[in-house]
Amino acid sequence: MTFRFEGRQVEARPGDTYASALYRAGQRIFSRSFKYHRPRGLLCMDGKCPNCLMNVDGVPNVRTCVTAARDGAEVRAQNAYPSLETDLLSAAQHFDWLMPAGWYYKTFTHPMVWRFVEPHIRRVAGLGEAGAAPDHRYEHAWMHTQTAVIGAGWAGLTAALEAAERGEEVVIADDQPEPGGQSRYRGEPAAGLIEKVRSTSSIRLLQGCTCFGLYEGNLLGLVRPAPHAGAAEQLIHLRARRVVIATGAYETPLLFPNNDLVGVMLSTAALRLMRMHGLAPGRRAAIAGEGARAAEVDGALREAGVAVAATVAPKDVLGASGSGAVTAIRTRSGDVSCDLIVVCGPLVPNAGMAAQAGARMVWRADPGAFVPEDLPAGVTVAGAAAGDVAHTGDHTPAGGKRSFVCLCSDVTSEDMRRAIAEGFDHIETLKRYTTATMGPCQGRMCQLSAAAVCARETGRGMGETGVTTSRPPNPGVTLGALAGPRHHPVRRTPMHEAHEALGAVWMDMGDWKRPRQYGPSIADEYRAVRERAGLIDVSTLGKLSVRGPDAGKLLDKVYTHRFSDLKPGRVRYALLCDESGVILDDGTISRLDGERYFITTTTGNLDFVHQWLDWHLIGTGWDVRITNVTAGYGAMNVAGPRARDLLAKLTGEDLSTAAFPYMSCRESDVAGAPSVLLRIGFVGETGWEIHTPAELAEGVWTRLLEAGREFGAAPFGVEAQRLLRLEKRHVIIGVDTDALTSPYEAGLGWAVRLDKEDFVGKRALTRAARNAGPERLVGFTLNGPGVPDDGSAVVLEGRIAGRVTSCRHSPHRQAAIGLAWVPAASAMEGARIQIRVQGVPIDATVTLQPFYDPEGSRLRQ
Amino acid sequence: MSFLVRCPFCGDRSVYEFRFGGEALRRPAPDAGEAEWIAYRYHRKNAAGEQVEWWFHRSGCRQWLKARRDTRTNQVIECWLPSQERP
Repeated sequence: MTFRFEGRQVEARPGDTYASALYRAGQRIFSRSFKYHRPRGLLCMDGKCPNCLMNVDGVPNVRTCVTAARDGAEVRAQNAYPSLETDLLSAAQHFDWLMPAGWYYKTFTHPMVWRFVEPHIRRVAGLGEAGAAPDHRYEHAWMHTQTAVIGAGWAGLTAALEAAERGEEVVIADDQPEPGGQSRYRGEPAAGLIEKVRSTSSIRLLQGCTCFGLYEGNLLGLVRPAPHAGAAEQLIHLRARRVVIATGAYETPLLFPNNDLVGVMLSTAALRLMRMHGLAPGRRAAIAGEGARAAEVDGALREAGVAVAATVAPKDVLGASGSGAVTAIRTRSGDVSCDLIVVCGPLVPNAGMAAQAGARMVWRADPGAFVPEDLPAGVTVAGAAAGDVAHTGDHTPAGGKRSFVCLCSDVTSEDMRRAIAEGFDHIETLKRYTTATMGPCQGRMCQLSAAAVCARETGRGMGETGVTTSRPPNPGVTLGALAGPRHHPVRRTPMHEAHEALGAVWMDMGDWKRPRQYGPSIADEYRAVRERAGLIDVSTLGKLSVRGPDAGKLLDKVYTHRFSDLKPGRVRYALLCDESGVILDDGTISRLDGERYFITTTTGNLDFVHQWLDWHLIGTGWDVRITNVTAGYGAMNVAGPRARDLLAKLTGEDLSTAAFPYMSCRESDVAGAPSVLLRIGFVGETGWEIHTPAELAEGVWTRLLEAGREFGAAPFGVEAQRLLRLEKRHVIIGVDTDALTSPYEAGLGWAVRLDKEDFVGKRALTRAARNAGPERLVGFTLNGPGVPDDGSAVVLEGRIAGRVTSCRHSPHRQAAIGLAWVPAASAMEGARIQIRVQGVPIDATVTLQPFYDPEGSRLRQ
Repeated sequence: MSFLVRCPFCGDRSVYEFRFGGEALRRPAPDAGEAEWIAYRYHRKNAAGEQVEWWFHRSGCRQWLKARRDTRTNQVIECWLPSQERP
């Protein structure tokens, strides 16, 4: 197995991570630091620190120390110019006195200067670049279990077996390639326990699976890399009745000058390299530690063939020497040369997840750790995460230059001290000002040292100082995993294929695909409707069937017009308002017979209107059934002077105005399909809206087009329809109206019946009828060239006084026409306003009449 | 926000299946005073604690439900069908 690293081939053994394979190949520098570009080597080998972040196959910030190596992968270093070994920007560290924490806030205070400097700072400081990664596929999965255990160490495996013995379903998520936790490198084999877990059928073990957050309702966010061929990552939403946090403890660095040099390594990292990967971490080591842990490391180092030059108690360590890599450890009793300093640092219970669940983090002097208390019901913490860690001794952080508290963003104890002196003496403000605990490690490496420095400088205790808040996601998650697969639902009308064959240009309307136009010329489609006949697919209209003896009562209560007195076979415009008198939706309501009404809603508001009707039915005791029949019907509108001749060829229904007048409806066959026909006229011509069973709609559409050929009929799209309706000054709710529009302002007051008994919005509408808002929606004709964009400003006496909501060039008027909001005083026939067209105010004339056929005679022919 | 709502029809379901319908309020009588109507239309308690709310199970049974929720913890204490309400 080989992968490429910076252009050269690196061999990997089974069980290797990228970092262990690189270490075996002699690589010692794994990254360059954020600000000073100091070389950094392996520190934690546990996926907790920022030192080994690299770009793997185009994905930045991959924790290479815990990511299993894959054959053929392409691995690149980050934030180094030109290479990890020779990074020219490392010169920055010699100017660190110029750049203490927060220096750019104080230096580049002028906005213009900041604008110039910011891109340069961003280029130099950084954590890799987001790649386009077009080949990466991300998935989401959902799982449920009775008990979820995070961590497959001793505590986690034991908790899982206990739950399984109680008869519960268990899921264990562990972020390491193999289960066992610290037993994998501490020589306390957990093989028996692992075997027992593996042979228990009610336990599911998810290995290499990172838990990044515990959310409300015991929802766990897990990321599983490469769940199967073809998927880069899978985000699992795991819901559990009970969560056991068994995430163990991790080791953190000691504070001493040059504690970030390559070759300074945590003792657990050294043990992992030796026991899990068979690597000698160095040739000549010094141990900064004492007691049992130092002895354990000492034994392991000697066993691996590493000479141990000295074991120094942390309080006696003065610093590390070396430029880039360690050459010696400086102690109170003199310097000792070495190429490896193994640090036995404080063990921190990994209880961030418990804090996310709402636990309080309380300082315990023994063992010298913040431990979780007051856990919510359903969440428990087990093992080292609960504070069951060995006492690591009280270490007072050594001061001095280049003692790095935060490795992620290069914050030293000196930076912290200065920030505290400047007044940022609370751990939370200190965090925000210095950015310590805010880097990719999210405070895991630095939280304890930051609290210790803060406590020492302020003279407060650790308990009083406290820790910063733990928030998910921790560790970081790729945006791709969170975003998941690119699924966008698409709704197609029953006539979709027919439109495709006609060369439709598509537009999106919510989830729907609608033909915007068919040919290059919207004018041709317009002329077909005005002069001959046109056919448009209106299947996307919301369609509701409202049935029952009390259906009329419900519609009277909810809509502004009266519908209980609507005669069977008649259609009425329907306006829906809320209790504040704001227009929510409009459409038509047809009474098919005594107890059956058929409602159309606008395309986007169907679900809302349906829920609104349902809600208003609650508690009334009325006998009404509301059914959404939108998908059950295809709908089309045939309109134009020859529409009657055309439709007459396909139906036996008498279409004469005497038998089938404007605003009436019939149930009848069209081209053999049982249909509902509404004689209405959105586009201002004689026309019928035909609702026909979805499975027959394409056939009806095709037959209508064939029947229309002799009359020169043509299909028309949404754009022509918008122009045709604008000439009729018909309002589109949500385009020409907004979230405050009352019917009296939009010129729709005629659709409100204040004389009927109580209905939704009556109280507010009664008031609005007397005292409408200061603006009115009016029509206008532009007295000059050009067509203003929708949204252009209305100008009165040089000041903005309103806005255009819809505007098109009208072939009928040979001018730009539109709808606009203007002050009430200008809402008069013939009033003069100005509209800003590309920055220039152009005169326009207000009208309250339709631009086309103001008497509506063509509709009624 | 990822709490569960115990729908009387569908059981424990993710809140993402539901549409929030606002605080449960009593509509004033048609001839009630203006202040009462304004309060009904525009004023919300936004309680820090338990309150009764409307929820619509959009991706489930498509029923309007009422629920008592603690807004501090997002715990839904109970959830019921409004038609089963005792006056």
